[in-house]
Amino acid sequence: MTSLVSAQGVSKQFGSVRAVDDISFEIEAGKILGLIGPNGAGKTTLLKALLGLTDCDGRLSVMGLDPFKQRKRLMQNICFIADVAVLPRWIKVAQLLDYVEAIHPNFSRQRAEELLRQTKIMAGSKVKELSKGMVTQLHLSIIMAIDAKLLILDEPTLGLDIIFRKEFYANLLNDYFDEERTILVTTHQVEEIENLLTDVMFISDGKILLDSPMESLGDTYVEVSASGEAADRARGLGPIAESQMFGKSVMLFEGIGREHLDALGELRTPSIADLFVAKVKGARK
Amino acid sequence: MIAHHLMLLKREIWEHRAIWVTPIAIASIVILGTVTALMFAGEYAQELDVALFGAQNVAGETERRMVLTALFYGSSGLFILALAVLIVFYSLDSLYAERKDKSILFWRSLPVTDAETVISKLLMALLAIPTATLVVIIATHLINLIVTSIWVSMKGADAGLLIWGSAPLFDNWLSLVIMVYAAALWMSPFVGWFLFVSAYTKRSPFLMAFLPLVLIPMLEGIFSHTNEFARVVWGRLVVIPLFDDLVDVGEIFGDGDWETEQKMVSALAHIDFGKFLSSPSLWAGIVICGLLCFAAIYVRRFRDES
Repeated sequence: MTSLVSAQGVSKQFGSVRAVDDISFEIEAGKILGLIGPNGAGKTTLLKALLGLTDCDGRLSVMGLDPFKQRKRLMQNICFIADVAVLPRWIKVAQLLDYVEAIHPNFSRQRAEELLRQTKIMAGSKVKELSKGMVTQLHLSIIMAIDAKLLILDEPTLGLDIIFRKEFYANLLNDYFDEERTILVTTHQVEEIENLLTDVMFISDGKILLDSPMESLGDTYVEVSASGEAADRARGLGPIAESQMFGKSVMLFEGIGREHLDALGELRTPSIADLFVAKVKGARK
Repeated sequence: MIAHHLMLLKREIWEHRAIWVTPIAIASIVILGTVTALMFAGEYAQELDVALFGAQNVAGETERRMVLTALFYGSSGLFILALAVLIVFYSLDSLYAERKDKSILFWRSLPVTDAETVISKLLMALLAIPTATLVVIIATHLINLIVTSIWVSMKGADAGLLIWGSAPLFDNWLSLVIMVYAAALWMSPFVGWFLFVSAYTKRSPFLMAFLPLVLIPMLEGIFSHTNEFARVVWGRLVVIPLFDDLVDVGEIFGDGDWETEQKMVSALAHIDFGKFLSSPSLWAGIVICGLLCFAAIYVRRFRDES
């Protein structure tokens, strides 16, 4: 396994605000990493630094390149859909394909046209004539036709309906992803991508709260539903979060072995959403 | 690599259709005007016959050349005016529109550097847009000449002599081409300024570009009672050091010797390359344009767009 992305002590300051605060992490090839954080957590700034759209302090390397200084070379191997990135409204679909074909060495027009045939998008249409969902489909068709090592998706399904969102992720998994490729995705709809991810990273106030493979989450984090005296005993073990549900106390534990909790109640691996809320609230205390 | 860069220019033409729509619209008006004028000229048949006879038998070649050259430049004027307006609005829009419609992140997600983008816009303004207008002007001249020849022949006059034999086509066109590109180069610091404002401003690029050009001379006048800024900046619009010492207007209409007359009907003969290329003003302007483009690249590269 090689590191596709390597960050060491990366920071980015806006005035007195540290949007990204001394972050270090590695992303290995062939992963689907979910980057999850509340609004203003520094997610977008971090992605921008990875994409060479903003400069930053510390050492950041993406595929061995300095993203800010070598952006053009980087863009030949990275694709991204930014949450605010929109396709130019005046352009025609066919023109867009012409443009990307001439500009991007790794773009397969044939592949893009195949993908577009599965949609209602016409080559002669202008982007401004398409619905929001269709524009995303168009953008995605272009992105998926680019043979890139790293795909960065920042809230790619924002404002789209549930049917389209499901299709989007299904396409991504079936048509795009393979062991050669790496996907970094951020979204607010965590539940929808939970089963897709191989790795997850939480970020809040510019710092990383969690960076773990999905399969080992269950080793570190356990959720216990307990009631009565068992609940009190569980509480004594120091849960990082507690909530009430159907008369039971649901407690989240970090770093406490299942063998200690087994007797106290029903155990399960927490959902990403619950874990996220617990970690962010914990960090803010 | 060439295809890559040509596509950057092509993309500009897709977005800014006015680049070719405007000159073609003007061409249609000019050609329609010619045709209409010739159609309604029938009412003055007698006067026209006299004029044609005079042009053919009394006037010399020089007079015919002068009249046709005047017509050439007269009909080019509207195009040139529109070209200036096109370049101003194109440059002001070129790096602003992509931020306004938020497509900048899409453009920047592709392997194109900010320098390539800004330079492609500069080349559009100084080279591609003038070229489009020049092509349309020359085509319009040709169409007008053909239409007029047919009309002249129908009147029984000798179109070969009156039109094709007398029109200094090569001279007029070449001088026009030189003047347009030279003027573009001469005005390049303005284009650089517009590109910079376009990349920098958060709103109304037109206002942001012209306000300083108006306010600075006013402030200068109030506080230091000089007008250096206006002299240097606005003065640039008035004189291009491309021509030899301008001929006195009175001389054109008076009697001159044959050589002077020849020179007067040939704009090409007035063009002085040495003077143009050795003008420090030209090179200072080009350097300023370069610096402003560099600033535009810097702004596009470093500013956070979210």
